Amino acid sequence: MEPIDESQLVRVQRENFSIDRELDRVKSRSKRIGGIATFLGIARDRSKGRDVDSITFEHYEGMAEKKLREIRERGLKDFDILELLIIHRYGEITIGENIVLIIAGAEHRAEAFRACKWAIDELKQITPIWKLEHTPEGEVWVEEHP
Amino acid sequence: MVTIKLFGMTKMLAGNQGSLSLALPNGRRVKDLVELLDGGYPQIGELIHKKKVLVSVNQEIAHEETEIRDGDEIALLPPFAGG
Repeated sequence: MEPIDESQLVRVQRENFSIDRELDRVKSRSKRIGGIATFLGIARDRSKGRDVDSITFEHYEGMAEKKLREIRERGLKDFDILELLIIHRYGEITIGENIVLIIAGAEHRAEAFRACKWAIDELKQITPIWKLEHTPEGEVWVEEHP
Repeated sequence: MVTIKLFGMTKMLAGNQGSLSLALPNGRRVKDLVELLDGGYPQIGELIHKKKVLVSVNQEIAHEETEIRDGDEIALLPPFAGG
């Protein structure tokens, strides 16, 4: 594989990300990649029957990055994939904006899909990130992760 | 004295403070910390007992018997909601 700054493959950042640029980053990791699966989470305007105006994400700096690195490393070990990129944003996010991006690159699509789904499910389970929804009735800390 | 980082609803329940400083002698355990929280911040204590809020020590999820030493990084973690 090409030498690359691994910290670019797992990021928690305030600013938006470019999906094209991140896809290129994953593709450049190996010429053996033949299939890429992506998951993009975006802010929606409705949650559990409530209107949502915007969302603020808070994270535990240090631990959140550590857990995402663990997910990448386990993903690379447990699935037949060549790269796994994970980016999550924090701060205030308006409706329709990007929140989270997972990109799994593999030789074949089946493992890319499997690893991508596993990574987003695992992110929701173990990463210390919290969601505050701003609604017309007030602010609500979201408690569950469907 | 230990400093405890707060996030999300635990921050709100502590009057919007980002952290708490509690007098906890060296060598105590997480259960001793929870007892202190039960006294000062009963709503947070209740959430810990119900396992809705987890305690982390040095960025790893801790349990009741986990020892706390001076300088450890402690945090109270409400239910995660990333993604």
